Amino acid sequence: MIEFDNVTRTYARKVAVDGLTLKVLPGELCALLGPNGAGKTTTIKMLTGLLRPTAGSVRVCGYDLASDVRRATHAIGYVPEEPFLYDKLSGREFLEFAAEMRGLDRSTVNDRIRRECRYFELDDFIDDLTETYSHGMKQRLVFASAMLHDPPVLVIDEPMVGLDPRSVRMVKDRLRKLAAAGTIVFMSTHTLAIAEEIAQRIGIMDHGRLHFLGTVGQLQSELASSHTSLEPLFLELTAGNNGRLRKGMDCKLEIE
Amino acid sequence: MRPPVLSSTPPPDFLSPQQEARAFGRARNRTLATLLRQTFAHSRFRVTLVVVLTSLLWGGMFWMFTDGFWFLESMITQPDTHAQAVGGVFGAFFAALMLMLIFSSGIILYGSLFRSREIAFLLTIPARTERVFLHKFQEAIVLSSWGFVLLGSPILLAYGVVSASPWYYYVLLLPFIVAFVYIPVSIGAIICLFVVHRVPDNRLTVLVGGLVLLAVGGAWIAWGLLTGPRNDLLTPDWFQEILGRLRFSDYRLLPSWWLSTGLLDAASGAWSESILFFSLMISNALFFRQLALWQAGRTYRAAYSGLYGKTMRRKRSRPMRFDRLLSWLLGPLPAAMRLMVIKDLRLFRRDPLQWSQFLIFTGFLVIYFFHIPRFTYGVSSITWVNMVSFLNLSVVGLLFSTFTTRFIYPMISLEGRRFWMLGLLGVPRQTILWSKFFFAAGGAIVPCSGLVLVSDLMLGVSNLIVISHQLTCLVLCLGLAGIAVGLGAWLPNFRDDSPSRIAAGFGGTLTLVVSTLYILIVVLLTALPTHFYLVAEYANLGGNIQGQTGVQWWLGFWLVAGIAASLILGAIATLVPLRIGFRALQRMEF
Repeated sequence: MIEFDNVTRTYARKVAVDGLTLKVLPGELCALLGPNGAGKTTTIKMLTGLLRPTAGSVRVCGYDLASDVRRATHAIGYVPEEPFLYDKLSGREFLEFAAEMRGLDRSTVNDRIRRECRYFELDDFIDDLTETYSHGMKQRLVFASAMLHDPPVLVIDEPMVGLDPRSVRMVKDRLRKLAAAGTIVFMSTHTLAIAEEIAQRIGIMDHGRLHFLGTVGQLQSELASSHTSLEPLFLELTAGNNGRLRKGMDCKLEIE
Repeated sequence: MRPPVLSSTPPPDFLSPQQEARAFGRARNRTLATLLRQTFAHSRFRVTLVVVLTSLLWGGMFWMFTDGFWFLESMITQPDTHAQAVGGVFGAFFAALMLMLIFSSGIILYGSLFRSREIAFLLTIPARTERVFLHKFQEAIVLSSWGFVLLGSPILLAYGVVSASPWYYYVLLLPFIVAFVYIPVSIGAIICLFVVHRVPDNRLTVLVGGLVLLAVGGAWIAWGLLTGPRNDLLTPDWFQEILGRLRFSDYRLLPSWWLSTGLLDAASGAWSESILFFSLMISNALFFRQLALWQAGRTYRAAYSGLYGKTMRRKRSRPMRFDRLLSWLLGPLPAAMRLMVIKDLRLFRRDPLQWSQFLIFTGFLVIYFFHIPRFTYGVSSITWVNMVSFLNLSVVGLLFSTFTTRFIYPMISLEGRRFWMLGLLGVPRQTILWSKFFFAAGGAIVPCSGLVLVSDLMLGVSNLIVISHQLTCLVLCLGLAGIAVGLGAWLPNFRDDSPSRIAAGFGGTLTLVVSTLYILIVVLLTALPTHFYLVAEYANLGGNIQGQTGVQWWLGFWLVAGIAASLILGAIATLVPLRIGFRALQRMEF
């Protein structure tokens, strides 16, 4: 389970995340949406142990990210928006390092690498140096490295950036399957169509606060809108001076 | 109360510290092996160049120190005073290195522990925080050690040779150096972690304050040494006076004193005392390393998290009067070129890494020129004064060539990533190169000519030399700017976004070598004929070579021909690389 318990994170005087309380249960695919500067990336960074909350606590599978960061990060597979790879390692060497750090033994490492190579179609370039990869190839490799140890929690920051349509389909199918098998998938995205297509719950953040959490249907009834797709609902909620949030509309949230 | 752990989550199978170290070591070794393989396969010329230049530098230092130690031995026949003198030299040298190592390792570790993208990856995997710290700490040790080995080994080996040291002196050298390096690097790490954790808002103030203290301390010591008694130069009293001023390095709690004393004991055959100092160094090295590790375990993640918000704070730029003044001064240039020069200056000014390195270079130059009067040592010989004046000209040229290699050469490479914008503006590509050229040459001519003029006035050289120097300086500035801009466009590196890494690449190395050769040739073309012409004139005034007007005529002709040749060479060095750069830029696709 992912638990944000009244989490606040400030940068000097700016409040990046303001009193976030949220629970994501096993088998759930939850997408966090919001305009630029809404606090999504800060939320993700706190969830992966990079940043600590100024107040409140973040727990993954019961482990507090501040006091038990190793156990918590062991339970997470993380795909950042801008993937980091060692330029002078091949894709296989990078996967071996990632798997080894998760405590997998040699034969399991080889089996899992084979499995991920097959799924993400990495075989053609897995033994090339990662400095020669395109952005999409890097992104697929990072997805593979995040899934090598079958983590109970998968955290993804902008999952589809740089991926071609075939890879997008591949990733979407995999995320659905993982959620169906009990994995928590928590992602932050600007691609509303992807969130609408695969997420079971959608969270909408703006100015550091979570203003909505639920399904698209719930959002439609919250806003009493005639629109049925996510994009106009999202824009209605957040955009410009006409957005409901800017007018001080109070969204009644049913969290959990 | 902590909520219960989900039953579906298996207990983490963590690696032991040894397994973790092996996993990190394996990844690092693989990276290193690939890097070496690539370097030897694709950059042989660069490797050869680096090896040759490093060997020359090392050999030059070894020769200089060997000569220096022979000189000391011949000048100070009293064994006690000799031992004191060598101890003073070693102590001061290692104390200075220790201070520099504390600072450099602190800065290196700040970059690698808090600003690198690799760290953002490593902190999200279940590695021990201490292991992540150690991974970067070991890199800092290697980065610091190689500079120490390059600078310290010639002096230590030279001393071993001159004092006919026993074999174990040479065996102990490397372990002593490694143990020593651990201490300042650990102290640098502790300071870095403390500053980022406790005073993240004032980290720049702490750094600048430390650098100012270091500079003031260094200048005070240098001043003390260089303002010593002049008349009884190199006499026993003079040595005693200088040794007295080096006494600060004699403090018994300084690791630099343990190092110098331990090595000198080994050199004199007192191996048991040497081993005692070595044990002292090892135990302190391990203690400080452990202290840094303990501190990292407690504060590193919190410091990283705390700093994150500080580095992403929005910065607002304000228009500066200087920009308006510059825009007015550059009025005669076409508008596009003027705007690009101002843009380059703004980018440079707003990048602290760029201008701090610029300030360090400038600091060296100022210190050098500050001590010009010392070079005369009361010697009135015209040949010596002329030699020093041309040496100054070469120094200005060489320093400007490091400026152009470090700051101007990478400009086109850095422009490459935003070239789409310049390309769409409809500005001819030649304009881009010309703007870089004006930026480099225009920014250099006034300070370089000024420095050379000041040095000439301090040395009291003749008007002919002053004019010759100003002309040569102009030729040097234009040529060096042309070489850096032209080669920057011909051999760009669009893969790196760090100017220092771009400058350290093949193109940067080639720029530095070509620039150095250019300076040497231009200075020799003007220096030699001017020197001989003046010597002849001086002798003529004294009545030594009266009647030899033929010789003087030939010397005059040589002088004019030399100046003309340097002008032609300057024009070639300015225009040919620029032309090559224009063509390369025209062909380039973005």
